Amino acid sequence: MEKLQFEQIPDLFESIGNLFMEKKEELCEMDARLGDGDLGLTMSKGFAELPNLLREGVQDAGGDAGRLLMKAGMKMSSVVPSTMGFLMASGIMEGGKALKGRTEMDGAALAEYLAGFAAGVQKRGKCSIGQRTIYDSVKPAADAAKACVETNPEATAKEVAEAALEAAAKGVEATKDMVPVFGKAAVHAAKCSGIADQGAVAGYYKILGIRNYLSA
Amino acid sequence: MKKIINDPVSYVDDMLKGIYAAHADKVKYAEDDLRCYCIAEKKPGKVAIVTGGGTGHLPLFLGYVGEGLIDGCGVGGVFQSPSPEQIYNISKEVEAGAGVLYLYGNYTGDIMTFDMATDLCEMDDIPCKSIVGADDVNSHSDPGTRRGVAGIYFMYKAAGARAAEGGNLDEVLAAAQLAKDNTRTVGFALTPCVIPEVGHANFELGENEMAMGMGIHGEPGVWNGPLKTSAAIAAESMETLLKDMPVASGEEVALLINGLGATSVEELYILSNDVTEYLTARGIKVYKTIVGEYATSMEMAGASISICRLNDELKEYVDYPVNTPFICQK
Repeated sequence: MEKLQFEQIPDLFESIGNLFMEKKEELCEMDARLGDGDLGLTMSKGFAELPNLLREGVQDAGGDAGRLLMKAGMKMSSVVPSTMGFLMASGIMEGGKALKGRTEMDGAALAEYLAGFAAGVQKRGKCSIGQRTIYDSVKPAADAAKACVETNPEATAKEVAEAALEAAAKGVEATKDMVPVFGKAAVHAAKCSGIADQGAVAGYYKILGIRNYLSA
Repeated sequence: MKKIINDPVSYVDDMLKGIYAAHADKVKYAEDDLRCYCIAEKKPGKVAIVTGGGTGHLPLFLGYVGEGLIDGCGVGGVFQSPSPEQIYNISKEVEAGAGVLYLYGNYTGDIMTFDMATDLCEMDDIPCKSIVGADDVNSHSDPGTRRGVAGIYFMYKAAGARAAEGGNLDEVLAAAQLAKDNTRTVGFALTPCVIPEVGHANFELGENEMAMGMGIHGEPGVWNGPLKTSAAIAAESMETLLKDMPVASGEEVALLINGLGATSVEELYILSNDVTEYLTARGIKVYKTIVGEYATSMEMAGASISICRLNDELKEYVDYPVNTPFICQK
């Protein structure tokens, strides 16, 4: 797909929601080992509700993709009031901010959304690269998306998503060697070696959901 | 668990219904959401002050919504944060053309909530600034990491008075900051409390034991040991507090003796007497003494002692009249 129209945004996030429903058990199992054990639930619950929140907000947003995402992100945080839920919601809100005033999402706009998403996660979580978090997959993805658009300003949304996904996968891989700083994982640091961070995996799946929709 | 309730699940909302019914002239709720607690009438042109936090600490947080203090409060579940959407909806309701100050306790969940609400307000071009209460000396050596407890009352007083006097957003923030810089608290618990939906005590403490430095959610303190006398508790607490925030002989302070919920007012005055004697012996003048419940932990027994080091500006704020359903000072 070359670009996405305002009306298609709920469908895009439905694709992400469907993927998280599929990956629910897997994320829960990963999180049970090194986290609170509720990551799969948080992601599936939050992203299952998000398309509904977006559809409800379509009329109010008046064609503004940014406004639509900001409001829906806010409402999502009420659905999943936990650290990871807030991080995802903040990412979506900040990603929305980057799209303020836009009525469609082309390759360049997707890159801006991904950069906004990463910035939102960073701002809320006060995390940086190398600390074994979701940021370690979404930030490289945003950077790769930006590079893709810089190299080819005509890049389609699908091409940008593919570049982002590849970088996110590498980012997930890199977390296997990182020493955790946050949460329960930090307490069991030794056990983490060689295992990918579950938050980074969730960040990867979110981008995979986007890619899947744009490739369909 | 022995509580006057109907159902643990409806604990917060049943409480709120009671408050709205009793004080319909002073408070209301926004967006058809009981947990969006707002002052009944807003004053055009005044900076709006919004707070929020978990239930279980009355009169903190919602009890400070009223004249001379603050304008809105997001009400979370017991010991849980309100949602960003609730804070945003309250902000829209109480905002009166001069911006919004978020003033709340230094807890991770609340910080995320208010930061997200700030983003939302910015989208609507509502100017928004934040400051957190972090007065609990024993909670951390780093002042930026400390929890907010009863001393936040002096921040509400300062910001509330400055806003009522017509200060702009930066001036109201500066007033809150001034109170924050000059306020410290030391607290201790004698018995735990029970979260209704959990149904059992949140920690254990021996029959004749106390926990020095324990937080208002039962966060572990600096030591658990045999219960000391009021005078000994006062001395230890003041030593800790004054080491962190020296007050010179001849300086004046406001003293807040706060009960955690189950401790009698009689005991609070015994403690107040001992703290006052301790301070007076060191040449520190107690300009104002406030004794009662200001930040509780449901039925936890224990108390906290807050000191606000005063200058002329802070004296004016401390003396400013307030009128809320929970607190009245002429």
